[in-house]
Amino acid sequence: MKTSRLFRNALITTLVIAAFVVSYNVTDADFGKLFRNLPNGQKLITDFLTPDVVTRDVETRTVSIAFPVPCDSAPAEADLPDNGPRLVPSVNCANPLEKFTLEGFDLEPDSEVVIRWKLPDERTMTAIRTNTDAEGYFTFEVEARPIIASANGVASRLEVDTLTPVGKFKPSPTLKEVLDAMFVTIFMALLSTTIATFIAAPLSFLAASNITRRGLIGSAVYYLMRFIFNVLRAYDPLSMALLFAFWLTFGPFPGAMALTVVTIASLGKLFSEAVENIDPGPVEALQATGASPIHVVRYGVLPQVVPDFISYIVYHWDINVRISTIIGFVGGGGIGYLLNLYINDFKWNQAGTAIWAIVIVVWAMDFLSAEVRKRLT
Amino acid sequence: MLRIQNVSKTYPNGTQALKNVSFDVKDGEFLVVIGLSGSGKSTLLRCINRLIDPTEGQIFLDDVDITAAPPAKLRQIRRKIGMVFQQFNLVKRSSVMTNVLSGRLGYVNPWTSLIGLWSADEKKRAIEALGRVGIADKAGARADALSGGQQQRVGIARALMQEPNLILADEPVASLDPVLSHSILQYLEQLNKEGITVICSLHFLDLVHRYATRVVALKDGIKVFEGSAQEIDRARFKEIYGEEAQEVRAASV
Repeated sequence: MKTSRLFRNALITTLVIAAFVVSYNVTDADFGKLFRNLPNGQKLITDFLTPDVVTRDVETRTVSIAFPVPCDSAPAEADLPDNGPRLVPSVNCANPLEKFTLEGFDLEPDSEVVIRWKLPDERTMTAIRTNTDAEGYFTFEVEARPIIASANGVASRLEVDTLTPVGKFKPSPTLKEVLDAMFVTIFMALLSTTIATFIAAPLSFLAASNITRRGLIGSAVYYLMRFIFNVLRAYDPLSMALLFAFWLTFGPFPGAMALTVVTIASLGKLFSEAVENIDPGPVEALQATGASPIHVVRYGVLPQVVPDFISYIVYHWDINVRISTIIGFVGGGGIGYLLNLYINDFKWNQAGTAIWAIVIVVWAMDFLSAEVRKRLT
Repeated sequence: MLRIQNVSKTYPNGTQALKNVSFDVKDGEFLVVIGLSGSGKSTLLRCINRLIDPTEGQIFLDDVDITAAPPAKLRQIRRKIGMVFQQFNLVKRSSVMTNVLSGRLGYVNPWTSLIGLWSADEKKRAIEALGRVGIADKAGARADALSGGQQQRVGIARALMQEPNLILADEPVASLDPVLSHSILQYLEQLNKEGITVICSLHFLDLVHRYATRVVALKDGIKVFEGSAQEIDRARFKEIYGEEAQEVRAASV
């Protein structure tokens, strides 16, 4: 007796260990990677933590000089000023592929600088972006590439823009984009929750044993409704969204439809349980007055379940906002879709903005639905 | 007015709640049904308005066979039978007014009442019904804001809305303290004097003595006594409630 139990325990332990080993291998688990790749993670997290939220207007000041390439192809800049914002190249002309140093003096301090060539035919070619120091100075090594050669005696010009942020902070285009997408997501979730409510509420009465399960037909309806709800609930929203995306092409609408179907099943089940949990007393009392079945439901059942229904609806709106974020990834539109775009373009700051928006909205919805439910009980 | 004829009820789980019960109720009686918990009192009352369908036997109300009535006819019969419950059975979240008005559902236009519209006439009737049980001022309150005694009075007002010829009261005072018990039973007694027949199940024997014009006693689903309250002596009492029983009295007012 005792040895058999010992054997059984040993067997169970062995099986548990074996299962763990298999799962470790299947997952390609390599926990060392978590630490070896830490710099990658840090960069990502830093970008996520500095979301693109605000911008300021930028004032651009430009200084330029003529710079002939090759040297005798056009007149060089005559006399360079020695005060005020100015550019000073180490040579006043150059031959192709020669390198020289460009310095800038007394420009806007601590500003972003864009150095570019303006070709004789008015095309521009950005060489590099850099920054001025606290004195408004920068230095940069420039290569005189053949493409900047003078044409018809006109030299290309070296232009330097200093970009100075001025004025108030204002929402960045990313923020507007994210808010628009979030708006779509919230209302997509609201639409599916609303449609699902109108369908699930009447059906839930058919799936409530205390209302429907009378006689053969009643029982059949009851079990059929239960079966439908359970089957629909078995599909997770993501695969449902893929199905609808294939059917209705991409966009918020298939996402909303997928959410609706899942929500009908889920709300239907929750609603029917609320109906089953009512106090049967008032129902009995109303039957005794000679009221018809529909009036018994209207006056005896409905007032008892409405608070539960409302609380489930708000709760599901909250859940649907969360799910529709994920559905967006498979083309369901809204914030999830936008986040997917940002991630595919490696726009981590923008992705950070989207993620923050999701976090804030999910938290707010959670808070709201908790408050509503608290008020109703 | 009411003839109960060889009524038996067996529940699907095999419990035999009523065994071949027969008796008559005359117009204007205050008939009290007594017996231990589980003796079949509630089942008997619910068989009369067919909240429970009897397995065998027939019940006639003014020579109409209730037990054979199809659904629409049954609703018509139920309209004239008010019912008052031990747990009051009000919709707790609805207003007192709505609870009382819902007693009128068998009469009013089914469409307007479905969307919650009630005529001024019906509202006036509801206030009058509440007035008869002394709580017209509570019409706007939520039902669960009222005390137990007040809730039972709402239950009576709801029954009055049916303009009933008969009121079934299933242990109407079992959830109330003795003082309130008398107050509720006095309302029923008043209605009885105004011509409504009352069938009421009760626990306390002194209440039976005080209010009953006639008594039917059930034991294990069998009618073991029928007669006036005065006829229930010590021997009969033991017969109804068993050898171990001790009489408990509700405080009289």
